[in-house]
Amino acid sequence: MKVVRVLAGALSLLTLASYARAATLAELIEGAKKEGVLRGQWGQASFGGSEGFKEIVSAMNKKYKTDIKGQYTPGPDMQALMLRVIQENAAGQPASTDVYLGNAQAMLDGLNAKVMRPTTYNQFIQDKPATEGKFNPIAADGTHVAFATAVVGVQYNTNFVKGNDIPKKIEDVLNPKWKGKIASTPYAAGIREFATPDFLGREKVVDFTRKLSKQIAGLMRCGEVERITSGEFIMLAFTCGGNDVNVARRTGAPVGHAVMEEGTVLHMRYAAIPKNSRSPNAAGLFIHFLMSAEGQELLWRMDGLDLHLFPGSQTKRELDRVRAAKGKVIINSPEWLASFKDYTAIQKELENILRQK
Amino acid sequence: MTSRIRGLFSGGTSPALLSLAALPMAVILVLVIAMFWVSVQKGALGTPSAVYTLTNYSAVFGDPFVVSVVVNTLIFTISATLVALAIGLPIAWLVERTTLPGKTFLYAIMTLGLLIPGIYTAMGWTLIAHPRIGLLNRWLVDLFGLDDGPINIATPIGMGFVQGLSLAALAFILTSQMFRAMNPSLEEAARVHGMGYGKIIRRVTLPLARPGILAAVIYIFTIGIATFDIPAILGLGNRVYLLSTFIYLKVHPQGAGLPEYGITGVVGAFMIVVAGMLTLWYGQVLRQGHRFEVVTGKGYKPALIPLGRWSIFAWALILGYALISKLIPLLLIAYAALMPYFVPPSLEAMQQFSMTHFYGMDWELVSRGLKNTVVLVAVVPLAVLLLAFTISWLIVRSRSRVRYLLEFGAFLPQALPEVILAIGALLLALFVIGKNVPLYGSVWIIAIVYIVARLAFATRALNGSLLQIHRELEEAAFVSGLSTARTAWRVLFPLIRPTLFSVWIWTALLVYRELTAAVFLAVHDNITLPAVIWSYWFSGSINKASAVTLLMTLVLAPLIFIAWWFGRRSQVSLN
Repeated sequence: MKVVRVLAGALSLLTLASYARAATLAELIEGAKKEGVLRGQWGQASFGGSEGFKEIVSAMNKKYKTDIKGQYTPGPDMQALMLRVIQENAAGQPASTDVYLGNAQAMLDGLNAKVMRPTTYNQFIQDKPATEGKFNPIAADGTHVAFATAVVGVQYNTNFVKGNDIPKKIEDVLNPKWKGKIASTPYAAGIREFATPDFLGREKVVDFTRKLSKQIAGLMRCGEVERITSGEFIMLAFTCGGNDVNVARRTGAPVGHAVMEEGTVLHMRYAAIPKNSRSPNAAGLFIHFLMSAEGQELLWRMDGLDLHLFPGSQTKRELDRVRAAKGKVIINSPEWLASFKDYTAIQKELENILRQK
Repeated sequence: MTSRIRGLFSGGTSPALLSLAALPMAVILVLVIAMFWVSVQKGALGTPSAVYTLTNYSAVFGDPFVVSVVVNTLIFTISATLVALAIGLPIAWLVERTTLPGKTFLYAIMTLGLLIPGIYTAMGWTLIAHPRIGLLNRWLVDLFGLDDGPINIATPIGMGFVQGLSLAALAFILTSQMFRAMNPSLEEAARVHGMGYGKIIRRVTLPLARPGILAAVIYIFTIGIATFDIPAILGLGNRVYLLSTFIYLKVHPQGAGLPEYGITGVVGAFMIVVAGMLTLWYGQVLRQGHRFEVVTGKGYKPALIPLGRWSIFAWALILGYALISKLIPLLLIAYAALMPYFVPPSLEAMQQFSMTHFYGMDWELVSRGLKNTVVLVAVVPLAVLLLAFTISWLIVRSRSRVRYLLEFGAFLPQALPEVILAIGALLLALFVIGKNVPLYGSVWIIAIVYIVARLAFATRALNGSLLQIHRELEEAAFVSGLSTARTAWRVLFPLIRPTLFSVWIWTALLVYRELTAAVFLAVHDNITLPAVIWSYWFSGSINKASAVTLLMTLVLAPLIFIAWWFGRRSQVSLN
């Protein structure tokens, strides 16, 4: 029995050591093969949910000749999931998800809590995306990678919102016509970024949110496009991105997405490996795949998004239109958010306003 | 041998049995203490940044939003109780005191109605009476040319109505036995003196039934105050918060901030106090019940009120209840499962019916959920039976004063909201025993909460059965040299087999449909089937949630049939 225990201990040390040395893709693949399973958890409405995960893992296995078994569990929203990972890490428990996929705010929370595993992405990602100003999709410290871009706007049911009724400016969603028929998100998506000094500023946005709170019928999470197609809410102000509309429209669902004339926020989607991941190599390989041409194509097909900094990106086309109309475009990254010390407090303030009628 | 018998029945209690009986009590106590412990802490639990403070109490009780949550909870619970009684009570009276035909079928409808998960009813009623997508509202809008749907199910009263439909079966079960046991001599005397049936019901039957009805009210109120599934499905998206959903949001914040366990602890402590008071009141009402007894005994046979043609009317009402509470919601769920994306029901929409959500179902996830649910269904009822039998045997047979403590402890979980038990277990597993006992994220943590939560029901049923068996039989077995365990196995179990089986099947079915604790405790490996449905629903995948719901119903159907068949044969009811 003692021998078995010693062997098991040696094996786990070996696995950790192999991960630490996984500077090349070949080593990463070998490490992933030994792990055998990749657990993924995020909202069913994000990244194609269970089908998306299944497809991506299957394509990844094909590309790298691995046989990793994907296990998906529908999870809470991106920030809530990061909180769970932080909590599990603090309690010495394995992470609910081996690979974390989420937004900039959640990633900032994770970085502040130091729960993300630094990884040598720069060494094994072959086709690196372009940078934009100070923004580099691959974090210098290797803790996270931006793998997709979502463009914030207003989502609407095309059976009820047509022609000139489609909002063009932020204030248009306050039209009395929509009172008691539209929704916002419980986490103030889009609005929280509008409140930064780089956009409209806190005062203006808090006043707008108070009016919006009286205007909305309820709250829904981003990606719950069925609640728009069903007519439960006829508009969502504002979205985390128009990507779910891109997917829903392919099925003929009556839904559209509009970017406001004032401009937009690019909700970057980040991937990272929690320190307490049970399969860090498989997670690394998954991220590597997402950053490949095949991965980007699959992301577009499953979740209607890709990274606008890759050549041939579909999202870039939409963004070019916004830029051509002189709209302001802001990239939401953990670094950008960290530059506003009141950001979390403002987000909480906006959330509280939206939660109360 | 004699000393053993004396030891067991005259105060001395077997230490082994006592330890077994004390185990769940200790778990309950620890979970309650955990809630109070958390309520006086602020900051990240389990880290040096956590400090002891009473500010959570001032934050909760000084917050007008919390006051509105409490008011919503009260409105919801009162509405639910009223609706449950308005349906359950008359049906119980019809079954027990009239000549209504088809009573076996009626029993099946009512008792099995309790087993249909509230989550189904809530999902179905969203599709019926949501102000914008509800079928009923759309019809009313079209019929009267209205601008908006006149009915809103997403209000405390609306949600209370749906909860009441779900709890009507329980109200029926709780009150039917009362009507059955009530001696009709006073009613007959009133009739002899020329009172009409209406007046008899008002002046004689209802006053006699008052303690039984009051006990049912308190029991249903206690359950309603902590219900999670219906308020979550109907209320969360519409910004209608109750105590249970408020706690959920504090533990699973949507947006900025850490989980506020301290706030949760305060609300939990408040709920424990309220539930404890209700339990004490409940006990008092039950104890006073005997004052209203009108001697029953040998030769007792109640005279039934002839319904005549009114039977048709009565059956129409009963079937109407079954239709709106179970059948229509289930049909709408089937509709949603077959639609590629959700649009309000219409003939035109039905042309798009497809099996997309079944073909594209994540079978790995569903089978993981099913596997965990099956483990729970297999383990929890057996553990509940073992512990409940031990506790009941000690309560009924022991003369030690410990039995009073056991009786109180066994009923305590009935008063404790499952949300509280679940959060207590979560915090313990994460921050107290997490590094030594790998409970977090395992199916066993859910099993422990379920076992504790179901103990009250099981001990109540077993106490009644054991009281009916004279101890002479056991004494004879002991004298013949049988051990305590073999006596239980060879003598007691065969005699109380119907109750044991009834407790087993009911516990299994209730575990199968249980959502509240699973939502708080399921992480990845330990997700249950109801939690899979909830996860899909909560992330807006109405169609996927409906598809899994249909599958779950198919699995549940044979279990329900077994329960009905057995219940019919053994005449065993929840009481």
